[in-house]
Amino acid sequence: MSKRKLNLLFERARNEPAPVPPEEFAAGVLHAIRHEPPGAVMEAPSIFDRLDLLFPRIALGAVAVIILCAVLDFGLTAAGMPGLHDGLSQISAQWLLTPDEFQL
Amino acid sequence: MNDDAELLERIRNGATDDFAEVVRRHQGRVYAILHRYERDAHKIEDLAQETFVKAWRALDQFDGRAPFDHWLSKIAVRVALDHLRREKRRQNEIGLPELGDDALDWLRSGDEQSELDGRAAAELLDLAMRELSPLDRVVITMQEIEGRSVKEICEATGASGVAVRVRALRARGRLRRALEKLMKGEHEQTEIEPAV
Repeated sequence: MSKRKLNLLFERARNEPAPVPPEEFAAGVLHAIRHEPPGAVMEAPSIFDRLDLLFPRIALGAVAVIILCAVLDFGLTAAGMPGLHDGLSQISAQWLLTPDEFQL
Repeated sequence: MNDDAELLERIRNGATDDFAEVVRRHQGRVYAILHRYERDAHKIEDLAQETFVKAWRALDQFDGRAPFDHWLSKIAVRVALDHLRREKRRQNEIGLPELGDDALDWLRSGDEQSELDGRAAAELLDLAMRELSPLDRVVITMQEIEGRSVKEICEATGASGVAVRVRALRARGRLRRALEKLMKGEHEQTEIEPAV
């Protein structure tokens, strides 16, 4: 599918006439709103809708955090200080089972 | 009475029946937006009614800074987006509609200038766009079919300019792949037909 063919498809779809509303459409809407006062608050968007709208900012933020952690780990290791990896190993050894305890 | 602002003021002051005039003035525009996202005439009518009911409920929020039809268009786009999200969840249950021969012939043809009417083109795009997320579909439809600017799409969808550009680019790529898949699927069918 070439770019030109896709553009042609858009162009032809653009020419499709919209359907005509039925004669009694306005009366139907009026019937539906008759019992409602104007100005009621619209439904709030869901949390998923809000997250969807934040794309790609959330994705970029996540990548930035990963890069920051990697650079920090690399910098600490290069400076001879315990890096994030060592920190995680310490936590693992302190709170989780050590390899010795797995020995049968 | 030819001014929307005057008409809306009367409605706010209690002339509920005048809302029918608002509907008559703008129903064509609302239908034109919604039929880009739904092919079934009855469903379009339901969605158009939902759009006007939501506009009625939110009438106090219309401040008159932008033209009323812009504000109403935004509501129609949000209604379409919600509809696409609901349909996306049901998509696997209802299956896919079949494409007409005209659309498939055009898709398979090497001659780009061959005949394809607006209806067949819209059916083809509708089927291919089922591969897109609802928001991607709205973005690409507004940009490529309705010819809206990025700013207008941002206003209607609530997405940022960067997000709209990224989504438009991604949607085009996915759409091309979806159309290629449709083309390939048809080739596979014609290949296995003689053996059946």
